[in-house]
Amino acid sequence: MTVPAVELDGIWKRFPGVIANSGANLTVRPGTVHAVLGENGAGKTTLVNCLAGVYRPDEGAVRLGGREMSFSSPANAITAGIGMVHQEFRLVPTFTVAENVVLGAAPRVIDQGGIEALVADLAARFGFDADPGRPVWQLSMGERQRVEILKALWREANVLILDEPTAVLTPQEAVELGEVLRRMVAEGRSVIFISHKLDEVVSFCDEATVLRSGATVAASLPVAEVDASELAKLMVGDVAVEPVPVAVAMPGDPTLTVDALSVRDARGLLAVDDVSLEVRSGEIVGIAGVAGNGQRALTDAIAGLEPVESGTITVMQHDVTSAPPQRRFRAGLAYVPEDRLGVGLAPKLPVTENAMMRAYRKLRRGPIIAWDDADQLTDQIIREFEVKIGSKGAPLASLSGGNLQRLLLGRELTGEPDILVASQPTRGLDVAGVRAIQRLIVQQRDNGTGVLMVSEDLDELLALADRILVMVEGRIVGEFDPRVATRADIGAAMMGGSDRGTRPDTEEVSS
Amino acid sequence: MKRLVLARRETTTRGGQPLAFLVGLVFALVVGAILLRITGDPVLDVYERMWDRSLGSQNTWSDTFNRAVPLALAGLAVSIAATMGLWNIGAEGQIMFGAIAATFVGRLLPDAPGLVLIVAMLLAAALGGALWSFGPAVARSEIGVSEIITTLMLTEVASRLIVYLEQGPWKDPDGFGFPGVTPRPDQAELGTLWERTHIGVLIALAVIIGFAWYLRRSVWGYELRIAGSSEKAAAFAGISVRRKVLGVLLVSGAVAGFAGGIELLTTTTGKLNVQISNGYGFAGIIVAALALMRPSGVAAVALAFGALQVGGQAIQTNPGVSPAVATILQGLVLFGAIGAAVFSTYRLRLVDRQVAES
Repeated sequence: MTVPAVELDGIWKRFPGVIANSGANLTVRPGTVHAVLGENGAGKTTLVNCLAGVYRPDEGAVRLGGREMSFSSPANAITAGIGMVHQEFRLVPTFTVAENVVLGAAPRVIDQGGIEALVADLAARFGFDADPGRPVWQLSMGERQRVEILKALWREANVLILDEPTAVLTPQEAVELGEVLRRMVAEGRSVIFISHKLDEVVSFCDEATVLRSGATVAASLPVAEVDASELAKLMVGDVAVEPVPVAVAMPGDPTLTVDALSVRDARGLLAVDDVSLEVRSGEIVGIAGVAGNGQRALTDAIAGLEPVESGTITVMQHDVTSAPPQRRFRAGLAYVPEDRLGVGLAPKLPVTENAMMRAYRKLRRGPIIAWDDADQLTDQIIREFEVKIGSKGAPLASLSGGNLQRLLLGRELTGEPDILVASQPTRGLDVAGVRAIQRLIVQQRDNGTGVLMVSEDLDELLALADRILVMVEGRIVGEFDPRVATRADIGAAMMGGSDRGTRPDTEEVSS
Repeated sequence: MKRLVLARRETTTRGGQPLAFLVGLVFALVVGAILLRITGDPVLDVYERMWDRSLGSQNTWSDTFNRAVPLALAGLAVSIAATMGLWNIGAEGQIMFGAIAATFVGRLLPDAPGLVLIVAMLLAAALGGALWSFGPAVARSEIGVSEIITTLMLTEVASRLIVYLEQGPWKDPDGFGFPGVTPRPDQAELGTLWERTHIGVLIALAVIIGFAWYLRRSVWGYELRIAGSSEKAAAFAGISVRRKVLGVLLVSGAVAGFAGGIELLTTTTGKLNVQISNGYGFAGIIVAALALMRPSGVAAVALAFGALQVGGQAIQTNPGVSPAVATILQGLVLFGAIGAAVFSTYRLRLVDRQVAES
């Protein structure tokens, strides 16, 4: 048997109050795409961070090609041939593709044209379609990811780690990524592919290692010989995987009406372009689309965080187009923003101070806040929404992702809103967290709340939404009925392809 | 081969700051001893003298307490602005203008009863400080001009204004022709508590406790924290960041100006001059930084700095010891404390040379 390209042996990694890895193993053969599967919080990212030099394992060995390594920084790991593409890209938006690729690893004297040619060659070798002279801010998420991969290849990475790479990709882009990865392993490199999406693992990967609660529960399973449901069972343990039950929608009166809305972004470009939509009580309207197609500007504008260029926003018959956010909240609009920690919450402040963000004006006695009432409100949210916290005085950042989201959603729902706008409400959560949040959202709908839900997870929208709108480049390009539309139909629309939506005015064609 | 590298700790040590401060103090004394050794001064004598003159007796404790008052108030001013992530580094000028405003009221009501005059002058000082930060505050909140530059530059303006007043409109007619402002009315002097410790110590302590409490418990303090957290979060909560910026800089200026008022009411000469702020405004930045920008911490740090300054002043009268020693020691404390604080985030590790270099 050949010497493994990567061997992580008995890795333990503890953080205060948390054991992220408890004796995890990972063995990757050269020339293979190896999946690391597990729920969020299973310790996947921590484990590969030990390999990438971000963390040092408390115990256990890291071996590359049979040689034991001890990395004191990511720079060490890079020189040893480890490349990592993080979930959040680390690119300089104003630099060109080529500049980003060579940044930190450039020859001393930079010859712009020469470098662009080298980067273009490198891209061509792996079948990338990349223009090295373009500034990164003009690129789509998928293109940016390719720049990150090129960065690693430029540094001659022998082992490439991709952390949840397909989260930002269209189905089509994901397939292309798979092809690039095949080319890389054909050259004898190894790829570590972190994911919790089974279908991708089955289609791209040769072997899979499954982590659960920080430990390896199955090592180097040959993917071709294992059933996807088998992998799912390994991932979640004994918990049965069943879909959130969704009853038939009983839509009532309009709760949110957006009419001919246009919003400009910071660069002055039209992020939202003439969008009209309506959400009625008791229905979930889903917005599908690849990240960066104006979804954030749309929801931020509805919530009052982004100024409107033209058009109107009406919440429960009140025109709130230019109203401040708290007026909209009082009118019945609750908002779960995409950027939870930067917009919806203040991570350095205590749990209580986050829980009272919407209601603190009602909790005041003169100039002083009635902290007993604030604590009561916090307790109530924590109890009702099953938020697990250490102490109410601890900084919010100490909560796990799922609990953060429960707290945020709980806070927004305490006002008993008529319309809930939720942007990527389940992104980054583990299976149990996703389910809990989805259940809460469906519950709201069943209680007569209108829900506008933006998600990049098409399966989620297909399961939950009563109608799906597809957003491309700031416009709504199609409307689909999830009962009849297929993944492929919606995927094609997301790519800006033919408009095959089942709009209400063409309903007779589809149903 | 092994070599030392600085590696980031994955978790920061809690409670590291008071420890870092102590380490900084020790570091300053050790390096200071080396310097004194080089200049040929008797190290132990100098340190003993510093100790005697700052903390050695009840009498000298008074000097330390009195010195801590403006340092603590300036530190409070800086830390209040910092709750929102703003840097008021012009407390020095606000102290001066606070003293100018207090002097103005003293000239306006020369015959008012002592208590009335004291209250009026202190209020005027606070208003004056706020007025001096008004320009920077508006520029920052309305058009985003950095308050760091504007507050600093206005310090120079305030000191020139005092020179002008000394030589022009407020020149003392009984000053034998020398430039100088007419002293404040005699009845406008803060009394003492014991020895030379003046009532300003109690007032400053009350102000600090009041602000620490108010910032933590009030709607205003809460809104400042949210606004300082992120602009988007503030917008989400319906808080106007612009108005908070304006408010917090005005309050910060008022606190610094108030320190100027206290100084004016306690100086032995009773005169407004450019020395009235004596670097307290700048030292206040250091005090606030060492207190981790927490209003509740400035009193303790200010007390330590007060002792250092008073002790440092005492050795200047010792023949042969450079007056710069005290200043150097203060700088070293900050240097050492910041250096030590690094180790609450980083640690030294021995690594293989090969790996470190590869």
